[in-house]
Amino acid sequence: MEIPYVVNPRKDTGLFNSKIAIWLFLASEVMLFGGLFSGYVFLRIGADYPWPERTLPVLPGLINTFILIASSVTVVFAWAALKMRKWRQFQIFMGITVACALIFMVFKGVEYGVKFKHQALRMNDFTMVEGHIGYVKAKGGDDHADDHADDHGEEHGDDHAADYARDVHGEKIEANQHVFAAESVAFNLARYHKPWAEDLIAEAAREGVEVKLAETLDFNAGEGGEEPVFEAGTVLSMDLLDDLADAYADNLTRNATWRKRYLRKAWDIKWEDVEENNLLGEASFAADFPKALELESDERKKAYTRWKAGMRARMAQDVTIDEVKLSSGSKPVTIDDESYASRELPAPGSAKFTCSKPLVLRQKSHDVITDYKADNSTISLRDGTSLAGAYKPSPMDFHDVDGIDFQHLAMDAEKRNLDPEITIENSWLVKNNPVVADLWTMHKDAIAQLEQNLIDHYGYRKGKDGKPLEDAAGNPVAKRVPTEKDRYRMGWQEIAYYMDLLDKHEGEGVPKIDLPKDANAAPKVTMTPKEHFMGPDYGTRSFPHLTIPRSEVLLDAKFTPKWNSYYAIYFTITGLHGLHVIGGAIVLAYYLFFGRSMYLSNPEWLANRVEVGGLFWHFVDLVWIFAFPIFYLM
Amino acid sequence: MADSPEEIKKSIKTYLLVGAILFAGTVATVLVATVPALDIGGHGFDHWDMWLGLAIATTKASFVAAVFMHLNHEKAWVYWLFGMGLFFGAAMVFLIFLAKGDPIHYDRFEDGGVSAAVMSE
Repeated sequence: MEIPYVVNPRKDTGLFNSKIAIWLFLASEVMLFGGLFSGYVFLRIGADYPWPERTLPVLPGLINTFILIASSVTVVFAWAALKMRKWRQFQIFMGITVACALIFMVFKGVEYGVKFKHQALRMNDFTMVEGHIGYVKAKGGDDHADDHADDHGEEHGDDHAADYARDVHGEKIEANQHVFAAESVAFNLARYHKPWAEDLIAEAAREGVEVKLAETLDFNAGEGGEEPVFEAGTVLSMDLLDDLADAYADNLTRNATWRKRYLRKAWDIKWEDVEENNLLGEASFAADFPKALELESDERKKAYTRWKAGMRARMAQDVTIDEVKLSSGSKPVTIDDESYASRELPAPGSAKFTCSKPLVLRQKSHDVITDYKADNSTISLRDGTSLAGAYKPSPMDFHDVDGIDFQHLAMDAEKRNLDPEITIENSWLVKNNPVVADLWTMHKDAIAQLEQNLIDHYGYRKGKDGKPLEDAAGNPVAKRVPTEKDRYRMGWQEIAYYMDLLDKHEGEGVPKIDLPKDANAAPKVTMTPKEHFMGPDYGTRSFPHLTIPRSEVLLDAKFTPKWNSYYAIYFTITGLHGLHVIGGAIVLAYYLFFGRSMYLSNPEWLANRVEVGGLFWHFVDLVWIFAFPIFYLM
Repeated sequence: MADSPEEIKKSIKTYLLVGAILFAGTVATVLVATVPALDIGGHGFDHWDMWLGLAIATTKASFVAAVFMHLNHEKAWVYWLFGMGLFFGAAMVFLIFLAKGDPIHYDRFEDGGVSAAVMSE
């Protein structure tokens, strides 16, 4: 069958089929991305934490913008070449377009990869620390990676695979773990995670710890039926756990079936009572609601219907699994003269095991859901397993700290009418880490100079009358002042700048900062081209190493949606945009590699298809034109 | 729209010019955001920088839509379809400002219900 209007436009719309289809689709896409961008605005103006503005490295985003713009030009050229029946030119321009899409995705992948490796931490006092965490060594006792090279070994292609401990999936284990000496372990029989249970059993065998069932679990409730009985003292094994889980699931199902029957029976008893005594009849309605007799016929009908619905709801409350309240009193619910209670089988949801001596377990931070500070004698894992015992020191060892951020702390201090700077000086990090204390002293010094430079350069604000404006305290108001980010955040460039000074003036106390008398001078190192793209060069720059005790950790995460809503919306919008790039590239590549026969038989049809594919591609470019400044520059 | 080979040939220059404008616009966006001497408004990022950045982006987007997507000479149907999409897309952003403009803030519920109690009196 021949499809009309694939080449020539319809007379009424003036458009060929696929063109009207693509514009319909693009209209829906505008609304999709419009919704997501409005989500961004909503999250940003409603954020209860300092929004991370201008936080992404600009160069990769800029290069990607250039790539997309170039591909937008080449896709138009490819279409124009087809219109002019120049197949070779079409191939070249379309080939460049598809190559641009691939390069875009590679850069995006690199950008995402950096985020997935970068560690962030929010402390109890809202100090933020950003940096990198080492990996657990395969041998040795309390084995936090302590060598600078370990941290970035993988990035430098220097990955000594055998040196690191691996988890069940063969992944290296980060030195960000909760180390816990468990005296007892309670498994959630509905959802314990088998690989973790296997790890625990293997660890117990390695440490020579016997893990035994703490108390007898009798799934018959002592009546000697067919259900299994698990004796106290049985040694933990995967078979035992599986049997326990099966017994639990069986009893749960059986109990549920009986519950259903008993409740059905109870309701039948209640309904007999209702029918016998005509409890839902009009007479009962009139007795319950005498004023109804005064209502008009229609009104009374409506009121009666409402009353019946209400009565049914009330009656449901009279029905329980053991007993039904009737108009003549209560009646027990039985089936074959037996109550539900006598049939119910025990279904304990967890099985507790005790350890012959404390079993030291290391849990990835990601797998622990307990709030450490709430009770440091228990720990809960994501699969519902609960360990009781005592925490061992489980600090987070940061290597190459490339961001120390007091913005949230300062915001919180201001909310409580406290002086932010004094609060920062009393923060755990500044009080307990001499290097951070030095960095903060230098940073304060630098910001004071920046503030003065801005005043010297731009002066003070003046009112309409030409007189200097004053704030509430009577001080003149400067035209330009350092931002909150300038004041309270030390990014990697600032940290590298201060660390460099500290190294140069070692043993001479905190070095004095001497910023040039220039409004644009900032306490930052100059980035190398590679650093513009990949972030700091940890091999040549100096960054502090910090150890944060677990008790000070409020939240730790990679730079992923877990960290904050900025990264959530960043990954959502750029991820969806990336999917569009991939989808568009596949379609354009199809025209490139499989379009030849159509070109020979009906070149105009192919030109129309390319035009439609190109329209989608331009839309992908349009989204990026907004995404780039919004995420990278604002 | 340019449809005959001759007209398309003539349009090539326009496409190149728009490509150049887009590159220049991108460079301008980055410069005003990263070079302190070109920083408008206060020091660092503020709403002036936001409006400038969005204005440049909108200009760039208009060029892409008008020239590359041929919206400068399209059929009425396309304007209707795309226009409706834009309208409803913008409406979603507007909804947020409705929420922010609501005089009854959710903060009210964060003071232990004191305000709510006062209001009900």
